[in-house]
Amino acid sequence: MIASPTAPLVAARDLSVHFPITHGVFGSPLGWVRAVDGVSFTVSRGETLALVGESGSGKTTTARALLRLIPATSGDVSFDGVDVRALRAAPLRRLRRRMQLVFQDPYSSLNPRRTVGEAVREGLLVHRLADGSAADDRVRNALEEVGLRPDFAHRYPYELSGGQRQRVGIARALVVEPEFLVCDEPVSALDVSVQAQIINLLQDLQRDHHLTYLYIAHDLAVVAQVATRVAVMYFGRIVELAPAAALFHDPLMPYTRALLASVLVPDPMARRAHTVLAGESPSPTAPPPGCAFYPRCPDPRKDAACTTVVPPLEEKAPGRFAACIKEPVRLARIPSHPSPDPQP
Amino acid sequence: MIGWSLDAGPWRAIWRRFRRNRGAMAGLVVIIAIAAVSIGAPLVAPYSPNAILDMVALKSQAPSLAHPFGTDPASRDVLSRVLFGGRVSLAIAVLAMLTAATVGTMYGAISGYVGGVLDDVLMRVTDACLSIPRILLLLTICALWGRPSLGALVLVLGLTSWFGVSRLVRAEIMALRTREWVVAARALGASDAHVLFRHLLPNIASPVIVATALGIGNVVLLEAGLSYLGVGVQPPFASWGNIMQDGADEVRALWWLSVFPGLAIVSAVIAINAVGDGLREAADPRQ
Amino acid sequence: MTGATPPLLSIRDLRIVFATAAGPARAVDGVTLAVYPGETVGIVGESGSGKSVMALSILRLIRPPGRIEPGSSVTFDGLDLVSCDVTSLRAIRGRRIGMVFQEPMTALNPVFTVGDQIAEVIRVHEPTTNAAAWARAVAMLRAVGVPAAADRARQYPHELSGGTRQRVMLAMALVLRPGLLIADEPTTALDVTVQAQILALLADLQQEMGMAVLLITHDLAIVATVASRVIVMYGGQAVEEAPVEELFAAAHHPYTEGLLRAIPRPDPESGRAGRLAVIPGTVPPATAWPSGCRFHDRCPFAWDRCRDEMPPLYALSATHASRCHLAAEPARRTAPRAGEMAHTEPRS
Repeated sequence: MIASPTAPLVAARDLSVHFPITHGVFGSPLGWVRAVDGVSFTVSRGETLALVGESGSGKTTTARALLRLIPATSGDVSFDGVDVRALRAAPLRRLRRRMQLVFQDPYSSLNPRRTVGEAVREGLLVHRLADGSAADDRVRNALEEVGLRPDFAHRYPYELSGGQRQRVGIARALVVEPEFLVCDEPVSALDVSVQAQIINLLQDLQRDHHLTYLYIAHDLAVVAQVATRVAVMYFGRIVELAPAAALFHDPLMPYTRALLASVLVPDPMARRAHTVLAGESPSPTAPPPGCAFYPRCPDPRKDAACTTVVPPLEEKAPGRFAACIKEPVRLARIPSHPSPDPQP
Repeated sequence: MIGWSLDAGPWRAIWRRFRRNRGAMAGLVVIIAIAAVSIGAPLVAPYSPNAILDMVALKSQAPSLAHPFGTDPASRDVLSRVLFGGRVSLAIAVLAMLTAATVGTMYGAISGYVGGVLDDVLMRVTDACLSIPRILLLLTICALWGRPSLGALVLVLGLTSWFGVSRLVRAEIMALRTREWVVAARALGASDAHVLFRHLLPNIASPVIVATALGIGNVVLLEAGLSYLGVGVQPPFASWGNIMQDGADEVRALWWLSVFPGLAIVSAVIAINAVGDGLREAADPRQ
Repeated sequence: MTGATPPLLSIRDLRIVFATAAGPARAVDGVTLAVYPGETVGIVGESGSGKSVMALSILRLIRPPGRIEPGSSVTFDGLDLVSCDVTSLRAIRGRRIGMVFQEPMTALNPVFTVGDQIAEVIRVHEPTTNAAAWARAVAMLRAVGVPAAADRARQYPHELSGGTRQRVMLAMALVLRPGLLIADEPTTALDVTVQAQILALLADLQQEMGMAVLLITHDLAIVATVASRVIVMYGGQAVEEAPVEELFAAAHHPYTEGLLRAIPRPDPESGRAGRLAVIPGTVPPATAWPSGCRFHDRCPFAWDRCRDEMPPLYALSATHASRCHLAAEPARRTAPRAGEMAHTEPRS
C-alpha cells in the first residue's frame, strides 16, 4: 500500500473504472474502456497531491470516482478511515460535505438560472447547516473570502467573467467547510493573468482553512507551483509518483521526461520546439498489451518483455514510485530547462 | 428562499427577442384579440348562444347587418355562437395541454433521470401509444363514452397529447443530467429529488412551454374535428367544431355555418403556432 | 526583417465594431502591423484583447453585427482585402492565405472524409481531376506527418484524434502552398506532447515552403518558442511590439511585464509556497473601454496623464514600440507596488 508517513486522509487502492462499450438496446457489452485501471495513492492531511496527465489519461475520471460521482468498477476508496464505496445514500451525503470539488469549466459548472447567492447557499440548504440570515452571513463571508464583493450574490453567471465564475465555484465548495478539495483543472479555462489570481487564492485558502488538495492538471508549470507530491498518469494508470521537487529535477520514467521536455518555456533563448515524443496516446478501445507506453517509449532498453506484463507501480527509492520493469536510469537535471530570468 | 427563479434575467431577454419577431407579435395580437372577445363573450355577444330567435323569420338566414354571421337552422345567432364557442374551444385546448404538459413532464423527467431499464420500458410504452393514430384513438374513446362532458373531453384530449412532451422532456433531462452544474449539485450532497426539482425542471421550462404552446393549436383542431363529427363538445355547449356540424348537411347553401367558425379556427391556430414558433426562436439564444 | 522588402501583409488602423444590446463594442480599435515574407509574427493577448476578431477580419470573415470600419486597410501583396470584390477575395482564401483554427472538431465538416475536405480546397481553386486532387490530398497528409495517410484520408473527422485533426486542418490550409498562414490558437486544445509535435511540424513546413506565419495565442511560451516578432494586444489595440528576444528580456509595457510575471515556471526552486505576481482587476468589456490608456486602472505606475490621454505607440527603437507614457516619462517607473497583489477583485 502506498502510504506517506502521516495517516492519510484519502486513500485509493486499486481503483478501476471501466465503461462498457454497448451495442443495441438491451445488448451486452462488446468490450470495455478502461478509463482508470488499478490506481492506488494516498493523500495526507494538508498536502497537495497533483494528478497529472494528458487527455485520456483518466485523471478526471479518477477524481470523480474518488468522490463517488461516478461508480467505480472495483477497488477501494477510503476517507478518514471510512470506506466510501460501501456507504449508503444518507451517510454518503453527509460525507460529501467534507470532500468538495472545484470544476474545470467555469462556464458550465454554474446553473445559469440561479444567482450567485443561490448557488453558494445551496450547500447550506442541502446539509441543513444554516438558513435565513445566518445563511446569508455565511454566503457573504464565503464571497468575500474568494475576493468577490457581497453584492455579487444577486448576479447571474452570465454577467460574470470566467475568473469571477471560478471564484463562485470555489465559494460554493468552501461554504460547507470541507476538509478535502478536489480541484479539477481549476485554471486551465482561464486567461494567464486570471490563472495567477486563482492559483494564489487556492493556496491562501488552503493555508487559512487547513485544506487538503487533490489537484488535477495537465499544465506542469502550474503543478510545480502548487504541489507537494505529483502522480503522473498515462492511459488509466499511475506511471510515476514522487515528491514535486524530485519529479521535476529527476524524473524516473521516460514518459515523465518527455512531458517535462515538451513543456514550453517562456524564454526565447531556450531550445526551440522539437518533437520529443512521437505518436499519440493509444485508443481507449484498443489497449496495447503489457505496458501502454511501450509503442512510444524512447528508452533504448525496451524489449518484448515490456509487452507481456502491465508494470506495477513500485517503490524504486524512498518516496519515489515508478511503473517500469526496467531499472530507471537516474539522470542529472535536464539541461534544456535553464532557470528563468529573475524578474525585477 | 431558493425557489424557481422565473424572474427577470433570462425571461426579459427572451421577451426582447420575441418582440422583434413581427410574425410572432402579429400572432400574439390576434390570439389575444380572439381570447379577449371569447372570454368577454357574455358582454360582447349580441345574443345568448342558445337563444332561439324568431323560429320562422330568422331560420337559416344568410349574414346581414343584424346578424353578421347569419343564423343557423335552429334560428340562433351564429356570431354569438362563435364567440361563446371560442370560450369552449380555447378553454378545452389550454386545459388539455396543461394536463398533457404536467403528465408528460413528470413521465419524461423520471424516465430521463432514472434511465436504465425503467427508461427503456417507459419509452417503449410511449412509442406504442404514439404509433396509434391519434384521431382513431380519440374517436374510439369519445364514441364509446357516449356524450362526453367538457371535463371528460379535457381529460381525454390531455391524456392523449402528452407523449410528445414526455419525449422532449426526457431528451432534455438526459442532456442536462451530465452538465457540470448538475454534477456540482450532486457533489454538494444534493439528493436526486433535489436535483430533479430544483435544478433540472426549472431549466427545461422554456422548451416545455414552447411545446405546450404549439400543442394548443393542435388540440383546437382535434377538438374541432371531434365536435364536427358529433363526438366532441355536446349541446347545449357551442364550440367552433359543432357549429360547423349544424351546417354540415348543406355546406353550399348554409355556407356561413362552415366559413365563420372555420375562419375562427384557422386564425386561432395560425396565431397560436406563430406565437409558439416565435417563442421557440426567442428561447434559443444563438450567439 | 524590416527594410527594403515590402511587407506581405499590411494592416493599417484596423477598427472593428460590433453592435450589441449594450452599445457598440469596439473589439479592435486601431491596429497597425505588418508581416514580411517568411517570418513568424506572434500576436499575444488574453480574451477580450481583440486578437481573434482581428485574425478573422483579415480574410473578411467577420459577419454582422460586426463590421470593419471605413478607414481600415488590410493589404495583402498589393490587394486591398477590405474593399476588393468577392471573387478576388475567394481567390485569396485558401490559396494565398491559409487559416487554421483552434477547435478542429468544429472547423471540419463531420459528414465528409478528411481526404475529401482537403481535395475540395484544391478543386475550388484549380482545374483538376478528382483523382489528381485526391492524390495531392494524400500527399499533403503525409507531409503533415499523419501515419498511414492513404487510409486516414478515407476516415471521418470524428474517427480521428485531436492531434490528427489539427494536422488535417494544417493540411487543408497549406495544400496550395499559401504565402501566409494565419493560425488562431492552433494548439490550445491539444495535449502538451502533441502541441510540441504540431509546433515542430509548423516550423518545418514554414522552412520548407518559405511562408509567413501569423500566430495568434494567449500563451507566451508558444511565441517564445516559434515567433521572431511579437505584438502584444490589450483592449483592442497593440500595446507593445518587439523582436521576441527583446520582449522577454526587456519588456516595456506594464501589461507585458505583468503577463510575464504571472506565468508559473516549471521550476520548483521558485518556491512552492511562493505567490505568483498578479495583474489586479479584470479586462474591461469592449463596450466600455476606460478613458485614456486602456490599461491605466490596472497599472501599478499609472498617473493622471494615463487617465486623460491615450498613449500613442512610442518608438523605443527601430524595432521596439510601446503604447505607454512611461516611454516619454521614464522617471515615473517607480518600483512596482508589491508585485504580489492581493487576489481580491477591486471595483470591477
